[in-house]
Amino acid sequence: MTRITLGGAVLRGTVATALMASLMSGSALGAPPVDLSKWSPEYVRSIAGTQDFDTAADCGKVTPLDYKGRLTFWYQGVFEGDPDLLRQYYKDFFETFRKTYPNIQLEDQALTYNDLLDKFRTALLGNAAPMAVRLQILGGTEFASKGYLEPLKPEDVGYSTEDFWPGAMKAVTWDGVTYGIPTNNETMAFIWNADIFKRAGLDPDKAPATWDDVVKYSKQIHDKLGIAGYGLVARKNAGNTPYRFMPQLWAYGGGVFDEATANPTYEQVELNTPQSKAALQASYDMYVRDKSVPVSALTNQQADNQPLFVAGQLGMMISHPSDYNVMLDLQKKATGADKDKAQTVIDNMRYGLIPTGPDGKRAVVFGGSNIHILKPEYVEGGKVDEPAAKAIICMWTSPEWSLKMAYAGSNPGNLNGFKTKWMKERLDNIKFLDVTTSMLPYGIPFPALPQSPEIMNIIVPDMLQNALTGAMTVDQAADDAAKKVKDLMGGL
Amino acid sequence: MQPVVQNNKGTSQVTTVTGKAEARRRLQPGRSGGLRKIWEHRADYAYVLPAIAVMLIVIAYPIYYTIELSFFKTPPGLQLRDKSFIGFDNYTAILTSEVFWKVTLNTLIWTIASTFFSFVLGFAAALALHREFVGRGVLRAILIIPWVISAVAASYIWKWIYHSDFGIIGAVLVGLGLADRPPNFIDNVSTVLPSLIVVNIWREFPFAMIMMMAGLQTVPDQLLRAAEVDGANAWQRFWHVTFPHLSNVSTVTILLLAVANFNSFIIPWIMTGGGPSNASHIWITHIYELAFGRQRWGVASAYSVLLFLMLMMLGYFYVRALAGNERKEGGA
Repeated sequence: MTRITLGGAVLRGTVATALMASLMSGSALGAPPVDLSKWSPEYVRSIAGTQDFDTAADCGKVTPLDYKGRLTFWYQGVFEGDPDLLRQYYKDFFETFRKTYPNIQLEDQALTYNDLLDKFRTALLGNAAPMAVRLQILGGTEFASKGYLEPLKPEDVGYSTEDFWPGAMKAVTWDGVTYGIPTNNETMAFIWNADIFKRAGLDPDKAPATWDDVVKYSKQIHDKLGIAGYGLVARKNAGNTPYRFMPQLWAYGGGVFDEATANPTYEQVELNTPQSKAALQASYDMYVRDKSVPVSALTNQQADNQPLFVAGQLGMMISHPSDYNVMLDLQKKATGADKDKAQTVIDNMRYGLIPTGPDGKRAVVFGGSNIHILKPEYVEGGKVDEPAAKAIICMWTSPEWSLKMAYAGSNPGNLNGFKTKWMKERLDNIKFLDVTTSMLPYGIPFPALPQSPEIMNIIVPDMLQNALTGAMTVDQAADDAAKKVKDLMGGL
Repeated sequence: MQPVVQNNKGTSQVTTVTGKAEARRRLQPGRSGGLRKIWEHRADYAYVLPAIAVMLIVIAYPIYYTIELSFFKTPPGLQLRDKSFIGFDNYTAILTSEVFWKVTLNTLIWTIASTFFSFVLGFAAALALHREFVGRGVLRAILIIPWVISAVAASYIWKWIYHSDFGIIGAVLVGLGLADRPPNFIDNVSTVLPSLIVVNIWREFPFAMIMMMAGLQTVPDQLLRAAEVDGANAWQRFWHVTFPHLSNVSTVTILLLAVANFNSFIIPWIMTGGGPSNASHIWITHIYELAFGRQRWGVASAYSVLLFLMLMMLGYFYVRALAGNERKEGGA
């Protein structure tokens, strides 16, 4: 049985309140369609299925359904770590779009999280970008600040700014101008295998309360059972790494800058503060001192941890709600005794809130993706079919599709998605969804800076690798990373 | 194709009447000026013109642009058009950075070790397969497989073979009681580069094998038999007859392997991304990360120019080796 003290955790003191305020402190605080101050699993359940939406009719007001045009579109699509259910929804979306707008010639291209930025940057240099693009949340400010993107706000496609998470709107805003619309927003949760906990002498229904507990539990699991305790990830150039290390960094009171505060200024680099070093030390203790995490953590990403978890070789990890469905998919593909073993793991899967730091601070990355329109001069052919681009953006960010496209692994960018019948259905079908939506108030967006992709995808993983391989001490690795961030911010 | 074979003494063996006239004309270059020569060969130039035009577009211009960009500062927060001229600063920054020397050392180790062992292994395999035995064809086909399969697929397969927790090698060693826990191949700064080199050798040795097998076909059988009659043992026949005949093909093979290894990207990038802690970064992966991951286009261009110069040097030796081969063949 999953035992999670959701109510108490959600309302946990001033820290959570401050983080909530951070998420709500968008430029346009109006009347959102849902009451963010009441956010709890019970509230989410109470609003699910309370409103109907007609996507085609709504988008028809933005771009007529008989509009004739051509659209090139790149998007961060499903990848090897996603469940089959999500693949089906992506397929359905593009089929539906083509049926809804039969006269728009859509040339879509799916790219993985790790490849999209590189390819998109290269295309921009050659003025060969697509007309519209859906990027990871980190990408918005980078490309907006360089002047590649057209201003684009929710009102341009028939919605209101208040329909989206205020924290997410920050990630698409640069110099006071909005350059995109969030498609989905998410926070992860903590997953553990109750059977492994039990065999290791731990309470099977209780997640580690603090990160120090994670270190202790990981060692206990490894020492007693000879398997990996915690699913540490430290690969470079993989989005998984910051999504798993930053919650730890913030929980210990550290950060790259002051992004974990209610009103960040991003002026002071904090990667080498004692708090940040304590977070790095915790990873060092697990990887080097206790050897209680997968040795392959330096070259692996989350998709590599999933098979370990379903094989009963990994005790706990941070992940999406979609991991439950991923495990089901993996179990279906297993054969013989492996199939039964995988089923045992699934039966023993537990989701809980991500542990806190020593001072009770709980944090998680407020992740997601945004959709943007490019300026014509950077697009192949020099022309952007704006009505066609708005048609697909309206559809993807609609309550219906922003929910469906995030069905298993994320949450709708459009808050109205929480009111749809599909949300109600999802709450019943996707196990543990409550937990990850409960983490939303603890979500901290990555720094809304053009340098964020390099900091999160290269500098932070480098810091981890330098410390964990012994190439540098923990202090040296933290100082080295802080210097790199300072140099980067100084234009070097 | 001209029906003329020029030997190393400057004379020609001609097989047709028109060929004789052509040969005479060729042997008297002083009688015609450069423009006249070009005019006489206008058809030849017309044939190669499309290829030259394509090369100018897809090779010459990028080379020029890369050289130009290497003299500019390209801050990651700005568009490329906002670059500023900084002279040789990028080169100075590279040559004085610790990372450059680390990556260069990695590249040299990678290139020399991969080239040497691929060649030795390929040569040995070629010698073994040159002899008649049952199943030779099947074995030859099997040994070519690593070279034929996609480098991307091979990288993923080897990543799992090496996996530090659940790799096949680790499982076998632990299963046989030879190790307590799986060896750490690619998550360790000391072992990652040698581990990747092994994969590269596995993938490249069939190329050397094919080249050397082709070379072995050219060793005159009668010479080997004569040496045998004269009492030469197997090693002496190899060293004094076979090996000298393979020197040209060996040089070309080694140079081609060296160029390919200098330019390697797929195996290190897919298996480790240059990590952990930059321990498996070689020039190309480092340039890629600088350019596409960190958007330091100017620095990455300067790196590319340096790499280009090194490859040009290798290219020079390659062309010289080819020219040497042609001279020798002509004189044979």
